[in-house]
Amino acid sequence: MKLKVFFAILLGRAVRLVSRILRRGGTDMPGRLALKLCPELLSVLARDVKSVAITGTNGKTTSARMIEQAFSDLGLNYFANRSGANLISGVTTEFLMNATLTGRPKKDYAVIECDEAAATKVFRQLKPRVVVVTNLFRDQLDRYGEVTHTLANIRRALQDAPEATLCLNADCSLTSSLALELKNRVVWYGVNEGAVPSRAKPVLSDATHCIRCQAEYEYSYVTYGHLGGFRCPRCGYSRRTPDYAVTDVVAQRLDGSEIVLSVRGEKHTVDVNLPALYNVYNAAGAVAAVTEMGFAPESAIRALASFHCGFGRMEEFRLGKAGARMMLVKNPAGCDQVLEFLQEVHEPFTLVVCLNDRGADGRDVSWIWDASFESLGALGSRLRRVIVSGDRAADMHVRIKYAGIEEARIEEQRDYEALVRELEGEEVPVFLMPTYTAMLELRQAVIRRVGGAEFWE
Amino acid sequence: MELKICHMYPDVLNLYGDGGNIMSLTRRLRWRGIEAAVTRLPIGSSASLSGFDLVFIGGGQDFEQQVLLEDLHRGKDAEIRAAIEDGLPFLTICGGYQMLGQYYETYDGKRCDFIGALNLYTKGGEQRMIGNYAFRCTEEAGGSVIVGFENHSGKTRLGAGLSPLGRVLAGFGNNGEDGTEGVHYKNVFGTYSHGPLLPKNPAFCDTLLAAALERKYGKCELAPLDDRAELAAHDEMCARLKV
Repeated sequence: MKLKVFFAILLGRAVRLVSRILRRGGTDMPGRLALKLCPELLSVLARDVKSVAITGTNGKTTSARMIEQAFSDLGLNYFANRSGANLISGVTTEFLMNATLTGRPKKDYAVIECDEAAATKVFRQLKPRVVVVTNLFRDQLDRYGEVTHTLANIRRALQDAPEATLCLNADCSLTSSLALELKNRVVWYGVNEGAVPSRAKPVLSDATHCIRCQAEYEYSYVTYGHLGGFRCPRCGYSRRTPDYAVTDVVAQRLDGSEIVLSVRGEKHTVDVNLPALYNVYNAAGAVAAVTEMGFAPESAIRALASFHCGFGRMEEFRLGKAGARMMLVKNPAGCDQVLEFLQEVHEPFTLVVCLNDRGADGRDVSWIWDASFESLGALGSRLRRVIVSGDRAADMHVRIKYAGIEEARIEEQRDYEALVRELEGEEVPVFLMPTYTAMLELRQAVIRRVGGAEFWE
Repeated sequence: MELKICHMYPDVLNLYGDGGNIMSLTRRLRWRGIEAAVTRLPIGSSASLSGFDLVFIGGGQDFEQQVLLEDLHRGKDAEIRAAIEDGLPFLTICGGYQMLGQYYETYDGKRCDFIGALNLYTKGGEQRMIGNYAFRCTEEAGGSVIVGFENHSGKTRLGAGLSPLGRVLAGFGNNGEDGTEGVHYKNVFGTYSHGPLLPKNPAFCDTLLAAALERKYGKCELAPLDDRAELAAHDEMCARLKV
């Protein structure tokens, strides 16, 4: 076994070295090959590392970056799978790069983002101390199947990590149901009624009926999607009172939010260095995770004010005369949050939407019709123009047309180099909304022109 | 002129972009100066189908299916059967399409009775049939080439007296075996082309609108629209599928 571990690590390191020489990321292949040689490699490497894992549909990367900033501020010796390499191969790559050739860890802590479909493979070996489940939304159907299927996957994965403390989103009826059948210790985070202007009923819900008894949920309030104060009138299944509760969102700005977070009754004023309500949820989850790892909540709270996410999550670039922001979109719930954020932009701007349909994006682009692009119509002349791009630019063009934007304001530009060149002359702020693989390419094109970090940095 | 459109079960049958179909129907009416009113009939609603000119039923997740069947068997099944025989135009997709048939039999042999409006049945297959696909509608259904996305494990077979909506050009269709796709009976159009079918297939959308308008107002001519964006998306997928 020891020899196998040694050779597996050696192989992984060699592959990584070659990848970097070839200027590829090498975030996935080293782990994949090493696991072929030694399938249990991750469990050996993870045994003496205290890990916090983050899974769920939306917000994994941002939550991980928030937790990482806290670890960094605390001066902890940690590593993280930074670049969205969140399958078992990517996670294993990070562990083997942070271990000696004999398999002893070089670091004490790890912050691991984990794809929800890969969780069953990863958690069994990783044995995380703390797991954050951010939320469950309908995602790429062709890739993950139905949302209840993803939920079952995560439940199975957590059954193999019974020692983990779970930080669950109390406002998500799907996520919350994990506590019904698991014996893990659970802490809850959420956004309380009255903290933000809320709706009385979900507009587009991925969970209308009770996960236990299939009666229709009643809501006391809804923050977004199906998140909020749900209650099943038949079986009584309902939102749990969060231990980490956002009691007030004092200000929502373009560059962040100011919130009041109550940690087991003690109120803290928190600056979140990223805008939009979904990042308020991510912030509460991150504070919960850091605290449950055994640190003071203040350390996480301070980190939230200074952390940067990058990698397409509200990432800023010096592109154009007024700057650009890249906002990755992957599914209707996430897309709606970004569109809602755009409502808060009170000056004229240009929007670029890049739609791809490769494996990681979901091959089915139907989801764009579930997102409320109609809200763009309400922006009036503030929306200077919409540029559609990506492999499925034509589909996005139709979507924007049906959202009520007249043809004169819709342009198609599939060549990213040409697109970036054009945007360099843009007078107004630019918002870039790419899907995952479009983000990888567009981001490279932007960085080549105006600078920024390589994706594995 | 006005069409009253009924969106049945939007609360549970709303898988992936079904709303786009409603949008396409209403926009294409209004662009021609024809009024469009959409009524959503969620589960538990007791409103009747009489008074509607067009009914849309989308696809759903398996999880909600039981809730749906209970609701259907409280009388809506008989009403749908009568409306279909009466010539009311229906567009039904994926789960909504299967539901009109006799039954669904899961891969492990469990049988679930559907509403039996049409002589077709569906059996769960081992493999999901997923991907972009294309089919050519029969002449009776307008004859246009439709591009869409299918994602189903059920294999549907049409019984005697039913014709398919079209023949598969690329992809799987009803069952991946006999080359048929969907169903066309009177003014019922059923298909596996989910999320959403109509925006990118404007000719087919107009076939539906024409059927509904003719039933209500007699012979009518639909004014042509600027479909360049729609057809560009349509043709691009045709080229990708090499059809």
